[in-house]
Amino acid sequence: MTAPRATQATGNIYDLGYRGYDGPRLGRVTVGLGLLRQSLREAYGIGRGGRAKIAPFVLLAFAVFPAILAVGFRALAAQTGAGEQFEQEVPIRHDTYQSVTSLFVWLFVAAQAPELFGRDQRYGVLPLYFSRVLTRVDYALARTGGVFIAILIVTVVPQLLLTIGGILAASDPVAGLGKELPEIPRYLAVCVLESGVFSGVAAVVAAYTPRRAYAVAAIIALFIVPPIVVGIITTLSVPDVARVLLLASPSDVIDGVNGAIYGPLTLGGETFVLATLPGWVYIVTALGFVVASLAIVIRRYLTITV
Amino acid sequence: MPLIATHSLTKRYPGGVTALEDLSVELEPGIIGLVGANGAGKSTLLRILLGLLPPTSGGASVLGYDVVSQGTTLRQFVGYMPESDCLPPDTTAADFVGQMARLSGLPATAARERAAEVLRHVGLYEERYRPMGGYSTGMRQRVKLAQALVHDPRLLLLDEPTNGLDPAGRDEMLALVERTGSEFGIAVVVASHLLGEIERVCDHLVAVDAGRLIRSAPLTTFTEHTGTLAVDVEEGAQALADALVAAGLQAVADGRTVLIELVDDRPWDLVRDAVADLQLPLVRIEQRRRGLEELFQ
Repeated sequence: MTAPRATQATGNIYDLGYRGYDGPRLGRVTVGLGLLRQSLREAYGIGRGGRAKIAPFVLLAFAVFPAILAVGFRALAAQTGAGEQFEQEVPIRHDTYQSVTSLFVWLFVAAQAPELFGRDQRYGVLPLYFSRVLTRVDYALARTGGVFIAILIVTVVPQLLLTIGGILAASDPVAGLGKELPEIPRYLAVCVLESGVFSGVAAVVAAYTPRRAYAVAAIIALFIVPPIVVGIITTLSVPDVARVLLLASPSDVIDGVNGAIYGPLTLGGETFVLATLPGWVYIVTALGFVVASLAIVIRRYLTITV
Repeated sequence: MPLIATHSLTKRYPGGVTALEDLSVELEPGIIGLVGANGAGKSTLLRILLGLLPPTSGGASVLGYDVVSQGTTLRQFVGYMPESDCLPPDTTAADFVGQMARLSGLPATAARERAAEVLRHVGLYEERYRPMGGYSTGMRQRVKLAQALVHDPRLLLLDEPTNGLDPAGRDEMLALVERTGSEFGIAVVVASHLLGEIERVCDHLVAVDAGRLIRSAPLTTFTEHTGTLAVDVEEGAQALADALVAAGLQAVADGRTVLIELVDDRPWDLVRDAVADLQLPLVRIEQRRRGLEELFQ
């Protein structure tokens, strides 16, 4: 007695031989934008296994969480009729959000910029990039741009949530829209400058520091140590010097930008003056940081030997 | 138009090291072996041909493009396999080769397809979906070759492709290089310090030493009159040598090997007959190539 046997497979695997490629070949600009997109994916650990996604997504969640909380409480307050009071008391607003989340923004660039810049140097991938269509400048711009957009997402998404929450929770949606719309260009300006300065500084350090641990430590130090130094100088009562020295500290410059755009912050009845110099000084300094960082990163990749 | 032309190419590194000195050579398509000892300037030459390094003086053109001023255009058509390790360990080969294809200008879909196809060609199948950190040296070399081939280049520059491979791995890699050159119709430059290896696949040899061109010629002119035929037998080497001497050849026994002076085709038949007559257990007959050292004399 024999069991019915499966029909023998009749298919064969044929080696089709090598086939050439006659399709389109894209130019530098398209390839550069492709690397930018790829850098953004890598900054969020996409395409690099589960572990690489933990840090960026946890930090993104931390940065967004206060906004979700604020939107939730606002909706609750609006329902209980305490909307007016909430608006006055809530500490999480468009003008305060930069200071609420700056720690997560620092940690994000410190953790992810070395991923984008360091890995290519550590694992010797640069010769493969530079032996292709892109120039070294294209590479530097695409990688820095990847960090910039990644961090822009972290800063803009919670602000957008606040905007949407504000419109939906308002008793009169049209009035809510009217109140929220003027906020959008303001916080976009803060977010763009903040992301530009922090990603630029992080890119410079990461481009020169292939070792990940050193790069992470150095980037965090650059954001945290200067404000402390300035604080010490201020308490030694030379405030005028301190005000100018602040401009060398990336995180203080961004606080100043926020102050320049929003004016003094009121929190729990206290008022904080973030911009002690004329507002435009901070904005110009922030732009200076961006331009200088880009120039240094480009120089690094023009001179690096591969 | 030659495939590669260099004129008075010189490269000095800061610190006074001269890697290439007044090197002028013209090469036609084919499989070109670039031989020289470590530090002879092979890698420097390849990098200059790619436009990765600027020459100190002199110039070069590849596929008719100037390597300095037309580097971007040129690099679309060239594949490069560096000597050094260049694979991020946390990326899969499929993803990595796909990314490299896109960086060479292939649209996303074509890049994915080409990556899969080329990886299959170099002999990577299911492994290509695993992170490359766990790959053996042989697999890593295959991925490096695949990324150089993925955009269907017209010229492939391979820097020591057999580095770190065991004998079987070397054979497979060389077979791949040979197929690439003959079957795929892609011109290949293979740099190696092992002449014995490179001469198995090349049809043209360029020998460099201390940054200078020693010789550039078809392989046949290098291996003419290679000199020695080595016959290994399990026993009776002395008897075989005596028989061959009696037949009018210059032969000496050295342990279990008999070395015969090779000036024409006559020894091959004589060795066969002598071994058969003496009923010796024959292990192998091998024509000894000249070593690199001889080449440079």
